[in-house]
Amino acid sequence: MTDYVDAGEAVPHRTLSATKQQAPPINDVNYERIQNARSEPENWLTYYGTYDGQRYSTLNQINKDNVKHLVPAWVFQAGSVGLHAGASTYSFEACPIVVDGVMFVSGPDGKVWAIDPTTGEELWRYKHASPYDTSLCCGNVNRGVAVGHGKVYLYTLNAHLIALDAQTGELVFDTVNGDVRAGESGSVAPLIVKDMVIVGSAGGEFGTRGHMDAFDAQTGERRWRCYTVPKPGEPGSETWGDENAEAWQRGGANCWVTATYDPELELLFQGTGNPAPDFDGEVRPGDNLYTDSVVAVDVNTGEIRWHYQFTPHDLWDYDSTMENLLFDAPDGRKLLAHADKNGYFFVLDRTNGELVRVFPFVDRITWGEITPDGKVTPKVYPDEEGVPVHFWPGPAGGKEWTHMSYNPETGLIYVPVQEVGATATRRRREFKESIPYWGAGVAVDLDDHYGFVAAIDPLTGEEKWRWNHEYPMCASTLTTAGGLVFQGTPTGEFVALDASTGEKLWQFQCGSGHHSSPMTYEVNGRQYIAVPTGWGGWVEGFLPGLLGAAAGDALFCFALPES
Amino acid sequence: MTSTDDRADELHAAGLDGQNRTALGRLLGTGNIGHAEEGDDGVMRATVRIPEDQLIFDPSIIVFPHGGSVELTLINDDKNTHCAVLPSNGDPKIIWLVNHSKGIARLELGGPGTYYYGSTTGNDEGRGLTAALVFGGEVPDSAKLDRPPQPRP
Repeated sequence: MTDYVDAGEAVPHRTLSATKQQAPPINDVNYERIQNARSEPENWLTYYGTYDGQRYSTLNQINKDNVKHLVPAWVFQAGSVGLHAGASTYSFEACPIVVDGVMFVSGPDGKVWAIDPTTGEELWRYKHASPYDTSLCCGNVNRGVAVGHGKVYLYTLNAHLIALDAQTGELVFDTVNGDVRAGESGSVAPLIVKDMVIVGSAGGEFGTRGHMDAFDAQTGERRWRCYTVPKPGEPGSETWGDENAEAWQRGGANCWVTATYDPELELLFQGTGNPAPDFDGEVRPGDNLYTDSVVAVDVNTGEIRWHYQFTPHDLWDYDSTMENLLFDAPDGRKLLAHADKNGYFFVLDRTNGELVRVFPFVDRITWGEITPDGKVTPKVYPDEEGVPVHFWPGPAGGKEWTHMSYNPETGLIYVPVQEVGATATRRRREFKESIPYWGAGVAVDLDDHYGFVAAIDPLTGEEKWRWNHEYPMCASTLTTAGGLVFQGTPTGEFVALDASTGEKLWQFQCGSGHHSSPMTYEVNGRQYIAVPTGWGGWVEGFLPGLLGAAAGDALFCFALPES
Repeated sequence: MTSTDDRADELHAAGLDGQNRTALGRLLGTGNIGHAEEGDDGVMRATVRIPEDQLIFDPSIIVFPHGGSVELTLINDDKNTHCAVLPSNGDPKIIWLVNHSKGIARLELGGPGTYYYGSTTGNDEGRGLTAALVFGGEVPDSAKLDRPPQPRP
């Protein structure tokens, strides 16, 4: 036999593509610049566009008069090779970032790209290898990157915080932050504050102990960790049964959606996830702080300054991880708005957590009642072993993690609403690390569902208009100074609504359902609207009636015709 | 209880351990198990071969003690051309393996966890040329939750 032919050494896959692994330089994105992000609307500098989570842009080239002419400018396809985690549940959930003419966006399965935002050309790519057997409650997803200090930050599926060179995509550091053997994972879009990068845990369906973490943005060294379930002796530990109880160890309260931030107060407003086990409350007597809460965390120390719990002693999987949108009342009072899974819309004073008002924003609420003064009365819940209990909203909530937006010109908050119920049957089980820990069998309704975009006045609680749809709304809204609200639907349409009336002005069929966050930016005087598409994630939770819908993972970008 | 030999016998009897027997291809995950060796330089090394007409990476499962740097030697003893696309932090790596060829792949992979690689030509992956790299170990203490040890399955 002759000698073997020399096959050489394996090379990066991207070297066999058109990618040049080089993006144009961008100016430094630092703390001051992010604080003033609204003053440079051509960019989308941070996950929500601005620290306050308003998802509002002052760009108005695309407006209610000309939006009917909007056309695709380009499409970017993510694609995949080989076997990967969540092969049937991946979803393109991110919100892209645009800085000085470069787009940065993450996709499923550890992928990050730098893209030319005018052409869709791939400038560089990085792919973090994600173990096939990572515990994932809700699919192979990632909600986005943070860009700053010359770097791009990603929190990976297996709970690593990685930093990449913004110009080349080369790895700068890789810090392991979560325990995949304990069922932890990562999906949150990091947030840059000062010289730190903030991320939070995922894994609430596996009985983890939730936390948020701050890292040195240059080195990846952890500055602080804030556990969102107190251990014995700490404030709030009395809400987890007696001092010998073990429930706190698996208590949940994960932080898998990006916090909002008030630079004046130096407070992060972090929503926390469900307690574990989700539906079996008997093994965790008490209110179970700080699950289903907003915690106001001192950005300098990681200490919790105040909290407000939206669903004490949750028995319905009502995470409160979704955004806490910051806005100011006409009298200057600093407020926070939160549309919870439990179907109620809360307005709090964000300086101290005091309840300002609470009102329902969905049509059907049967799990319980919250009075205008905030008193919570559970009514229907799975408390008897083996007995099915039906309730509204289902465990995906009246609104899931996908984000609402606030338009200061109309004074309205645009909420993507899901009207879906579910049946849970309590089934007690022992806790075992990395095994799902729900404490129930759950079946979300396959029919009798619908959705709408609700335009809500947060100062009065009045619903000014709603745009109805046959299916629940499972994607974030975006609102602009062009008098528009953008919303993606589960059936693939991307629509533009009149922000004042809710009238549908335009739509485009993207070929797969939306479960992401659209954004807008401007380059060379041309405004663009970008939206990742790709139906997936926890579909069995928020809309099982469309479990058979077409998957996808494409990023669409729209603009007005250049002529 | 089924011993390893019993399992191999059962797979053979069922016609699942070869090409074009009961099924069209070879059932994934039915090949041999190998263990990487860690060198003084900290690199974990292993060799896989593609035997003639078997359309399989042998061993089809390689176990590593922990995540880190990997050097995999790939040898194609088959009379057909294949390749391997392997996961690695940064970007998957690809090596083209013509008949009777030999090459290496240097990978960086975190542990614990399982990664799959395959020959991405035609449907090599479905016929049997899909294999696993399995990393054991624990995450660093700094990444663990502050709680007492918990029961595992």
